[in-house]
Amino acid sequence: MNILNTKKPSSRREFIKAVSTASVALASTALSPSAIAKAIEHKPRYGMLIDTRRCVGCHACSISCRAENNVPEAHHRSWVEYTEKGTFPDATLHFLPRLCNQCSTPQCTSVCPTNATYIRDDGIVVIDPEICIGCKYCIQACPYDARFINPETGAADKCDFCVDRLAVGMEPACVASCFNRARIFGDLNDPNSEISRMIAKNAVTVLRPEMGTKPNVFYIGIDYADEHDVRFPNQHIRVTTHRDDNKRR
Amino acid sequence: MHETTWGLPVVLYLFMAGLGAGALTTSASVLLRGGPTGKYFDVARYGAFIAPIPVMLGSALLVFELGSFQAGHWFRFLNLYLVINMSPMSIGTWLLSAFLGVSILYAYTFLSRDAAPGDSKEKLRRMTAWVGIPLGIGVAVYTGVLLGALPARPFWNSPILALLFLLSSLSTGIASIILVRAIMHRRQLNDAAEANYHESGYILSTTDTLLIGLELMTIFLFLMYAHLTIGHTRDAVGVIMFGGELSIMFWFWVIAIGLLIPAGIELAVIIPRMIHQGKYLSHRYIDIIVPVTVLIGGFMLRYVVLIAGQITFPIGL
Repeated sequence: MNILNTKKPSSRREFIKAVSTASVALASTALSPSAIAKAIEHKPRYGMLIDTRRCVGCHACSISCRAENNVPEAHHRSWVEYTEKGTFPDATLHFLPRLCNQCSTPQCTSVCPTNATYIRDDGIVVIDPEICIGCKYCIQACPYDARFINPETGAADKCDFCVDRLAVGMEPACVASCFNRARIFGDLNDPNSEISRMIAKNAVTVLRPEMGTKPNVFYIGIDYADEHDVRFPNQHIRVTTHRDDNKRR
Repeated sequence: MHETTWGLPVVLYLFMAGLGAGALTTSASVLLRGGPTGKYFDVARYGAFIAPIPVMLGSALLVFELGSFQAGHWFRFLNLYLVINMSPMSIGTWLLSAFLGVSILYAYTFLSRDAAPGDSKEKLRRMTAWVGIPLGIGVAVYTGVLLGALPARPFWNSPILALLFLLSSLSTGIASIILVRAIMHRRQLNDAAEANYHESGYILSTTDTLLIGLELMTIFLFLMYAHLTIGHTRDAVGVIMFGGELSIMFWFWVIAIGLLIPAGIELAVIIPRMIHQGKYLSHRYIDIIVPVTVLIGGFMLRYVVLIAGQITFPIGL
């Protein structure tokens, strides 16, 4: 399936794949047109749903991501933000795990001058470090501050839903390590997948929808409050992250 | 200096590419307007020699600043030439390369010691001048479009930024010509040549004053629209308004030193001729002080814009 497709999409490859899938489907379902159409059309579109009500801010995702992807020190593919709100006894601490939003209409790919970053068939936005020249334009373009320059390759780097793990049928590292099941990963194009069913029956949101990026990382129960929302003198709101600059951007 | 993704090399690049583009556009346009007699030939010559140098230096700085270059892949930036896409940086790369080629060719036509209007290279000179004007304007505009294309950077995401960079480029280009001209000038033996020197100085100074006025107008519109809106843009532009982090940089260095002072001095020297039909004489010290302040202003404009865009973000998540 497409999960193994790590190269750029090529129409010829697609066509051959479609034809071979169709012939398999033909053989097995004995000429049911709807079944053939379904077999040809189904392409996974990967997405993630993060239920912040279940997140306890343990950083298992940040650490497992670092171990899995050899993320260089001082950079983060996956991180957690904390929102402190209120004063005792009416206070709360809220956690917001962050990662690349794998947008459907990303800014980063449209500003890349070398086409080094692109959307794969399965919806994952990836970077080819052999092509990337490290101009940092995509870093400027990302409204989620998800990108950084990897000092070892000199190329832009970010979360790619652990494509190497997906290729062998495993979940991304952050999902596998989340002991409280706050993260659900799956195929948004399959209405019966757990993520599709959860999105269908819960109130979900995405980050910065006004940027028009159409993210494929969804959240349940985010507290959007930050310093800009402080309106009266006794209101305490502070947002921090565990990243070096300690600020949300 | 703030810790930012794009730092001083990019500020310098934006300034130098703009300066070179402005110098070529000015040089080529005065050459073509001077007609076959070559009225402004000397001005065109200074501009032609200035133009490629800052653009080459700036582009080199940009390559050194690339992540791939710093990681030891020295020639990976050539990947830029394998693609043409709608990224402003890709379009800019091609424009800049064409600009470098044309500006070097244009400078070459002036290189001979006895280059004069109507000599053997005149045809090539005029052809490259015609191509050079749109290329120069293209390079100057692209430096603004490059920043303006990003909704994630509310300070930059304004269509008027490209216009502001174009005006500043032309203004710094002219300033560089005035400066080099004033430094290199030797008193001419022949009166006609001396009169021509002052006449072309008048043209340069009046054009520069006009450009500075337009720049002030554009900055006013930029600030006004940002201030009259709500949300991201207003919040971001707050860093250069009074009380903002970069307000002194902006109001003192860009507005006062870079625009108001040179505009004031230039007005004082051109008004006698403009209004009272008096005589205009290029004064060497004025022709050094004014361009230096304009160049400082042009650099500080790029600095403030580049830093302000990177320390402000869309508000909320």
